[in-house]
Amino acid sequence: MRWASKRPAAAYAEPIPLRPDGQAMETPWFDKRHVSGVRPGDHGWLAYTGPEERDRVIGPFVREGLETNEKVVYITDVPAEHLPGLQPRHRLDVDALVRSGRLRVISRQDACLDRGGAFEPAKMADTIGREVDAAFEQDFRAARVTTDYSWLLHEPGPAGLRRMLGCEHRVGDAVSPSTMAMAVCQIDSRACTPDQLIALRDTHEVLVEVNPEFYDGILKIVRTFDPDGLRVEGELDAARHSVFAEQLSRVRPGGSVHLDMSGLGFIDLGGLHLLAKHATRLPAEASLVLDHLSPNVKSVIETVGWHRLPGLARGRELPETEGIA
Amino acid sequence: MITHPAVSAASDDFTHRLLPYAGAGEFLGGAVPFLRAGVEAGDRVVAVCGSGREMLLRDALGRAAADVEFAEAAAWYAHPSRTLADCLGDACEAARQGRRLRLLGEAVWATRPALEVVEWQRAEAVLNVAFRGTGALLMCPYSAALPAAVVAAGRKTHPETVRGARSLRNPGFVSPWTFCEQCDHEPLPPPPGDADTLEIRRPDLFWLRAYVTDCARQTPLPEEDLQRLLVAVTEVVTNALRHGEPPIALRMWTDASDGAAALVCEITDAGRWAPGTGYGLVPPGPDGGASDGGFGLWAVRLLCSIVQIRTGEDGTAVRLRLALPTGATVRR
Repeated sequence: MRWASKRPAAAYAEPIPLRPDGQAMETPWFDKRHVSGVRPGDHGWLAYTGPEERDRVIGPFVREGLETNEKVVYITDVPAEHLPGLQPRHRLDVDALVRSGRLRVISRQDACLDRGGAFEPAKMADTIGREVDAAFEQDFRAARVTTDYSWLLHEPGPAGLRRMLGCEHRVGDAVSPSTMAMAVCQIDSRACTPDQLIALRDTHEVLVEVNPEFYDGILKIVRTFDPDGLRVEGELDAARHSVFAEQLSRVRPGGSVHLDMSGLGFIDLGGLHLLAKHATRLPAEASLVLDHLSPNVKSVIETVGWHRLPGLARGRELPETEGIA
Repeated sequence: MITHPAVSAASDDFTHRLLPYAGAGEFLGGAVPFLRAGVEAGDRVVAVCGSGREMLLRDALGRAAADVEFAEAAAWYAHPSRTLADCLGDACEAARQGRRLRLLGEAVWATRPALEVVEWQRAEAVLNVAFRGTGALLMCPYSAALPAAVVAAGRKTHPETVRGARSLRNPGFVSPWTFCEQCDHEPLPPPPGDADTLEIRRPDLFWLRAYVTDCARQTPLPEEDLQRLLVAVTEVVTNALRHGEPPIALRMWTDASDGAAALVCEITDAGRWAPGTGYGLVPPGPDGGASDGGFGLWAVRLLCSIVQIRTGEDGTAVRLRLALPTGATVRR
C-alpha cells in the first residue's frame, strides 16, 4: 500500500473539539480542527480571508512539523524565507532545513504544471505521493503538505475550478487513508465566489482553523476573521473575565467586532457588563455584535434588557434547528 | 446614583398619591379628575386596572377616554422589579420628549401570595426614590375592601393621600429604606432540614452550576428559568466570594408553604452588607445601566420571581425563589 507508516499515529490521538453540548461543530460531514490538532489522514481545507489568518494557520502547521521530526512539503513559487512560519522573525535556518530534506519547497512547475505551464491534477497527486513515500523512506514520523491554490482561480474561465476539483479528489483519496500524510489546501476566499468556495470545501473532510487563543476545558476563545472577532465557547464567568477581556481587547478591526456565541452555554452578569463596557470603547459607528446567541443566553439578555447594555447589537440568528435546549 | 434624561420645565418633580376609596363613587371622584387633567395637559396618560373599572372610567371620561391608554392590571403588574423598571423607562422616555407620564395604577393585591405582596409593597416604597426627577404623576387606588395590612402598608409608601379634589401630605409615610427594613424584621423561615446543602470553597463556579442544574432538573422548573437561576446564583455567589466572608453555603429546596410552589435557592455567608441601599431594588439608569454598581443585584431581582435578603450580625442570606409551573408536582 502506498504511503504506509512505520509508526502508529498515537501522537495525534487528540479528541476532536466538541461544543459544550457534546455535538461536533459544523455540519456532520466535516471535522473542524484547530491547526495543532491536524493529524495524519487529514485532508484539510483553509479558506483564509487575509494574510494574518493564513499565517496563523499555516505558520504553526509548518513550524510544528519542523519541530517534531516531520517532513514539510510546501508547493509554491514564493521564496522559502517569505512563507508562513519560515520568515526571518522565526529564526529558522531555512537553508539547513532544505539541505537536510526536512523542508521541501517545490515550485509549481516541478509539482503540478505540464510542459506548457498548464495545471495538471494527476501530476500534483503524483508529486504528493512521491514526497510522502520519500518521507517514509527517510524515517520521518509524518509528512505535512501544503499549497495555495488561489492562483488557479485567477486564471480566466471555469477550467481552473474544474481541474482543481479533480485534483482535490485525487489528493483526498491519497491522504485520507494514510497514517502518515496530512495536507492543508489553502485558498484565498476573496479569490472565488461563494459557490466555488463551497464546491471546493466539500472535497475536504477537515476544516482547519487557527489555534484557540485560550482553552482551559471550560472556556474556549477562537479568533475569527470573517467577520472580525472571536468565537466564544463553553462558559464565561468571573473566573475568566480577565482572560476574555484581554482577548477581546486584542481584536482591533476598523469596524464592528463580532462575537460568535453559538457555543457559549453560559455568560454571567459580569460578562455582559464587560461586553457592554467594551462596546462603549469601540469607535462611534462600530458596535459589538453578538451572533448566533443560544436561546438560553438570549433569554437572559432579554430579561435584563438590550437597552441596558448599550453598544451591544443583535447579530445573526442561529438556524431554528440548532441549539434548541 | 441614577442618571435620568434632562427633565423638562413642565415636570420639576413627581408625585405618588394614594387614593383610598370605598365604592365606585369615591374611585371615580379621585381617578377621573386626575386622568382628565392629564389628557388636557398633553401627558401620556395610562390607566392600569381591572376590566370592570375600565368600563366605569370610560363611561365617566367620555371622549377623553380615547386619549387614555388602558392596561390590564394582572398583566401589567407581572413582576415587581420588571414592572418598576418598565414603568420607570416609560417615565424617563416621556420626560425626554418633554412630557410627563401620568399613571393610575391599581395593583393586584387580593389574589397574590403573601411573599409577593411584600415585594409589591417594596416596589411602591422604592419608586419614591427611583422616580425622582422624572416628573411622573402616579396615583394608586386602594379599595377599603382590601386586607387592613395592605391598606396600612399603602399609607407608609405614599407621600400623599387624595381626599376629594385635594391631596394631603400623608403623615404615615416612612422613608423607603425604613419601610424595607421593617419588611426585613420578619425573619425568613429556616430552610428544611433535608435541603440539599453545598459549602462553596472554590472560586470557579462551573461545578456549582452543574450542581444547581442537577437539583433543578428534579423539579418541574422550565429550562429558560433554570438558565435565569444559574445567572442569578452565579452573581450572588460571586458577590459572596468577593465581598462576603466564609463559610459560604448554598441550599436548595422546593417550597409551597406560600400557596405558590417555588424552587428556592439560598446563598448564605458570614459577612454583613452595608445597610440602607435597597440591595438592587432601585433600577439602574435606563442608559448605561450596566456601568452602575447596583446592576448585578438589580438584574438578579429581574431574573428571579422573588429575592429575599436578610443581612445582620448573624451573616447574610440571599434567598432566590423561582415559581414552579402551577399544577406541577413538587418533589418534597
